[in-house]
Amino acid sequence: MSTKDPIDLRQDRREWLKTSAAALGASLLPLPAMPAETPQAETASAALQAKPAEPKSAARFFTPTQHALVDELSETIIPADSHSGGAKAAKVADYIEQVLRESFDDSRKALWHEGLRLIDVMSQHYHGKAFVNASPEDRIAVLTVLSDNDHMTDLPEVRFFIELKRLTVHGYYTSKIGIHDELNYKGNCILQEYLGCDDQGPVSS
Amino acid sequence: MAESEVNLTKTYDAIVIGSGAAGGMAAHVLTSHGLQVLLLEAGKKLPVEKELRSMEWPYDNPYRGQLSPDQHSLTFNEYTIRNPPYGPGSEKAKHLKSYIGSSDYVKNIVVDERENPFTGTNYAWVRARCLGGKTNIWGRLALRLSDYDFKAKSRDGYGEDWPISYSDIAPYYDKVDLYLGITGVKENLPYLPDSIFQRPTKLNCAEVTLKDSLAKIGRVLTQYRAGVTSDGLKHNKYRSRCYGRGACERKGGCDIHAAFDSPTGLIYPAMDTGNLALRTNAVVREITVDPQTGKASGVHFIDSQTMKDYAVRAKVVVVAASTLESARLLLLSKSRLHPNGLANSSGHVGHNFCEHIMGPGVTGRARNLVGKPPTLDDGRPGGFYLTRFRNLAEKHPKFIRGYGFEGGSGSTMFPRGTDAHGFGAAFKEEVRKNQGAFISMGAFGEVLARYENYVDLDPVVKDKWGIPALRFHYKFGDNEHRMAEDMKETAQEMFEAAGFEITHVSSRVLTEGWSIHELGTSRMGNDPKTSVLNQFQQSHDVKNLFVVDGSAFVNASCQNPTWTIMSLCWRSCDYLADELSKGNL
Repeated sequence: MSTKDPIDLRQDRREWLKTSAAALGASLLPLPAMPAETPQAETASAALQAKPAEPKSAARFFTPTQHALVDELSETIIPADSHSGGAKAAKVADYIEQVLRESFDDSRKALWHEGLRLIDVMSQHYHGKAFVNASPEDRIAVLTVLSDNDHMTDLPEVRFFIELKRLTVHGYYTSKIGIHDELNYKGNCILQEYLGCDDQGPVSS
Repeated sequence: MAESEVNLTKTYDAIVIGSGAAGGMAAHVLTSHGLQVLLLEAGKKLPVEKELRSMEWPYDNPYRGQLSPDQHSLTFNEYTIRNPPYGPGSEKAKHLKSYIGSSDYVKNIVVDERENPFTGTNYAWVRARCLGGKTNIWGRLALRLSDYDFKAKSRDGYGEDWPISYSDIAPYYDKVDLYLGITGVKENLPYLPDSIFQRPTKLNCAEVTLKDSLAKIGRVLTQYRAGVTSDGLKHNKYRSRCYGRGACERKGGCDIHAAFDSPTGLIYPAMDTGNLALRTNAVVREITVDPQTGKASGVHFIDSQTMKDYAVRAKVVVVAASTLESARLLLLSKSRLHPNGLANSSGHVGHNFCEHIMGPGVTGRARNLVGKPPTLDDGRPGGFYLTRFRNLAEKHPKFIRGYGFEGGSGSTMFPRGTDAHGFGAAFKEEVRKNQGAFISMGAFGEVLARYENYVDLDPVVKDKWGIPALRFHYKFGDNEHRMAEDMKETAQEMFEAAGFEITHVSSRVLTEGWSIHELGTSRMGNDPKTSVLNQFQQSHDVKNLFVVDGSAFVNASCQNPTWTIMSLCWRSCDYLADELSKGNL
């Protein structure tokens, strides 16, 4: 996207939402805006009386189609390169699936379903294809629109992108591939002696 | 010893309430004097090694080391914006935890917030009800106070001096150093006295760069003084020397007990004397008083599981339930002879509550380390401590007292720098190349002890056991906010002077309580009208009652309190044993 002017997300989304609504017969704006920090007038007793959580469901959170989409989205965030495997190899989508399946935060779950839908709407709008069918360059282009506008946190697709990146990053850098192959992490072993600058070889400035 | 065997019918020499740093130390010192001691802990005895699993890889953990989704830990926004604190979904979570309980390794160590409500002003109150309390997860920075702290009023006119000087407590700091082990490097600083250190950790390259830069302006950066035994302790079979393992910076605790914790450092050795009985799940609700003499006669406690009520008697009662819980217990212990609560004829119990303010800090990158092969930096119990430099020789125009910085640098298991903008191949490479180059530090500053910052009992809200909850009346003041502004500015200046590329400056002051260094609710002093305890942490009002935790602090200093809590406690318990043997209690 660097060769073009940055896309005006607010302007564009009117267009692609129109297309989407027409195609899907879905209702048009407004999309649910869920400000993250609305003060809540709850009381202490309300929390004290909160019921215990329901038993966790074994049902999958993502449909197979959604799972495939999350796989490609996470790989676009952290791709395989000559150095190491990417998010797909690290099974980041499985991690995200587990987090969401067991989450008690319904608004977070709704954001993921809505976000995945909007990603495909955007991909259709810009490239005429579902995200998973788009080329790697076209996938990058879709996420670049969101990344370049990541201050617009009132928009659900932007909040979704932030969540997607956060969970992908967490899932990847806590995986075997992330810790060992990618970062070549040296720790979590038993040492005879503490290591310091003198032990780490000369560092030129 | 099985808990059912604990004898609750005999009169103990002393009952110690609480098993953290202070309670463990009281149990150790009193049993070593041959006293028969009953130690009461409100929480359970956890299989703590199984909780901490210090060497577990995140990918071997079902939640990658994070809290399971049926639990929720409170965030900064929940403490400050929502009142009381809840985030989306938290109402459905089975357990609500304080901010520190956000990992799978500490979730059972900290309390369920719903079972332990509190009211009033915002406060990030971290409580660990289990054997050993917060020592199971403490940050381990083990610093001494000096006469810059004990005699702070004489220096700047604010507050009160302590009824002791450094020379009174110095021999006890030495005892704690030798009995528990501490790593560090001697610096000969008058305001931060040295301990008797074991083998020190080492600074890594960015830390050395910062140290050298600071030395030019007369500021001191030293190795993190960790309450960790690096050489081992011949007299303690429960603790291992530090292996310098990685993942130590996770700070969820230390499952080989190289880092001090109260159970392995103090309580198990005390049990080996044969003089200590331990009763866990014992929630003390009242200290009982002899209606004739007005002296403490024992305690009432509730079994946290069965809800059954018990009474047990002792010649001396030693309160070590933590600064805020101890104040709560004294206020709960009202009687005809002590209508304001026990030890509270001064009206100062719960007042002069102080701690450390934190939040401001800086993160930067050492450019010369970008792209270097990864090194092992996180096998140390800590990185560095940048010692206080304000209001020592010169007087700062905007605030009194001081602050220090805790910090560290280098590679970590979970990389720093993932908050970089963007995504894709460039993002991935940036994280990889920068992983060892980051250095960061955050400040801890003295919050002034003020009478008007206090806790009392909520008239309505009660905890799970029907015990009135604590109510907070506590806010940072102007001195703290001016100090926080200075912290942010100096942090940035020092990193710039060291040549680091600054990536983030934090000016946000964290919620009151965040430092988990609450202090001063039953301060010591020579005047019974303005203090609760004498210099031996003995109640002015009730001779056989001692409060040996952070409650006794007259001010917070800016140095971390645990080592001082234990040193003071040791001194007071020596005195207690002596007085008891003389028949003076």
